[in-house]
Order: sequence, then structure tokens, then C-alpha cells
Amino acid sequence: MTKQMHAFHMVNPSPWPLTGAASAFMLTSGLAMWFHKHSNTLIFLSMILMLLTMYQWWRDITREGTFQGHHTSLVQKSLRYGMILFIVSEVCFFFGFFWTFYHSSLSPSPDLGMMWPPKGVIPLDPFEIPLLNTAILLGSGVSVTWAHHSLMEKTHKDMVISLSITIILGIYFTLLQGMEYFNSTFNISDNAYGSTFFVATGFHGGHVIIGTLFLTVCLLRQLMFHFTSSHHFGFEAAAWYWHFVDVVWLFLFISIYWWGS
Amino acid sequence: MSETIEEKLKNYKTAPFDARFPNQNQTRNCYQNYLDFYRCTKALTAKGVDPLPCDWYRRVYKSLCPMSWVQKWDEQQEEGIFAGNV
Repeated sequence: MTKQMHAFHMVNPSPWPLTGAASAFMLTSGLAMWFHKHSNTLIFLSMILMLLTMYQWWRDITREGTFQGHHTSLVQKSLRYGMILFIVSEVCFFFGFFWTFYHSSLSPSPDLGMMWPPKGVIPLDPFEIPLLNTAILLGSGVSVTWAHHSLMEKTHKDMVISLSITIILGIYFTLLQGMEYFNSTFNISDNAYGSTFFVATGFHGGHVIIGTLFLTVCLLRQLMFHFTSSHHFGFEAAAWYWHFVDVVWLFLFISIYWWGS
Repeated sequence: MSETIEEKLKNYKTAPFDARFPNQNQTRNCYQNYLDFYRCTKALTAKGVDPLPCDWYRRVYKSLCPMSWVQKWDEQQEEGIFAGNV
């Protein structure tokens, strides 16, 4: 039997990069079809294809790493770099929205009456639900760290409990934000205030949902005993992502909710 | 400034250089003086004082602002939809 004389993982041919690319193409053109031709078909199909791609690709990675042992420490290192670079790209993404917000709010244009918040906009009180949301995310950062230490210390039950708490806090945040959105007196089409507020907090909320799903997958994997006390990169990646989401919220809270009111 | 406001108004030729707005785009200069005229008038008439000093701002905004903008803002003020804080 031939052995490989290196620690890298030569992945078997896989269709998922192609289906992923196809779904991305269909998503964008589907968006154009939705906007201009009032047709939902393409975008609907592309979302199904995207979900199938994600499920099967990540399932394959789990099979390759956890069950087939392809994730040597070198492979794990490159996966770490990959996750870090992805999170850096997400930081760049949010940086743009913060730039927009500060551009509009530091020197408001005459069309806005040269004031911020503009006349007629009643901003949300930062020290009500937004402050609670800050506490929730900070607390979930603590619980996910607890989960990590439990994992490393081989206390399986504690890990399940603390990870579950983290997920519950994430869901609680999402529900509270949803309530705030429903009950706010302004919406996205209300001048630059509405645009900056809902685009920035909206994308953040989307990332909270993604992070919560990622953590939930980790919980399911932990219940199936995929992780060991020394090898659990999937969980670490989820925890890094979750901390990133928390930090973005802190910036949102201080800039948009607090300073911007 | 050793001139009184009456002297300044009498010697007015055009809007002088305003260091708050040093660049080519003078939109904010126009808007700020428009706001200041109405704020000044509101404040002084509320105190029961002659609003003559406010005339400076009126002269400046009339020199700087496009007429269509002034008409638009005046209409907005009448309809109660003016965005500025007067």
C-alpha cells in the first residue's frame, strides 16, 4: 500500500466547489431576476443548491477529519489560517458599514438639517434593550469560553451545558432584536439614519444567526463525541466567529446606538 | 471688530470669507446662514428685542444661496417639513 510522505491532505475530487459556485452565480443572477422580472424561481433554486452544498461539503470535511484522520496538525494549522483570514475579511466588510455611518453622521448634510439624529427620527434608547443585548452577548462569550475549557478538561456534561447556554443566549439576542425591529418608530427607508442603522445592525443580526447555527452544529457533534480534548478545531472556529460577532456588536452599540443618539 | 452691526450692514458688499467654510463647496455656508437667520429672528423676537442684528445672516445667505434652494426651504418651513432645527 503506497503511503504519502507528507502531512498535507490531498482531498479527493469533489463536486461541492462547483455546485457552490453555481449557486453563487444563480443567487446573483436570481437577485436580478427578482428585481427586474419579478421572478423568484432562480433565487429559490439557488438557495436550495447553496444549502445542499454547505451541508454536504461540511459533512465531507467532518468525515475526512474526524473519521478518516486526514486532519494532521499541519492540516489543522492551515484550517486555522483559513478561518482567521475569513474573519479578517468579515472585519473589512463591517468596516465599510461603519465608514458609511460615520460619513453620514459626523457632518450631516443640509438635506438632513445638518443634525444627527435627523429631525423626526426618534432613536432607540441605548440603555434599554440594546444594553440588555450587550450583556447577553458578553455573557455568551463567557459561556463559550467555559465550554472550551470543559472540552479541554474532558468534562463532557459541562461542555454540553455551557454550549447550550451560549446557543440559548444567541437565540435570545435574535428574538430581542427582532422585537426591537418590529417596534421601532423608523424603518430602513427613513433617510440616512434608517439606512445606516438597519444595514449595519441587520448584517450583524444575520451573522449572529450564522454563528448560532455554527455553535449548534458543534453541539450536535459534541453529543456524537466527535471532539477530543486536544483536537476540536471546528469548535474553536465557531468560538472565534462568535467572539467576532460579539466585538462587532460592541462597536455597533457604542457608535450607532449610544453616540449616534 | 470695532464696527457696530449697523455699520457692518451699511458697508456690506458681499459675503466675507468665513474660515468655517474654507473650501470651494459653499453649500454649508449658505445653509448655516439661512438657519442662523431664522434662529436669530426666533430668539430675538421671543425676547422682545429688535431683530436687526439678524439681518447680517439674511444678507449673507441671500448673497450665497441659489434662489431655488431658498424658495424650497421657505416652502418647507411653511409646510412644517423643514429638516433644520430653527
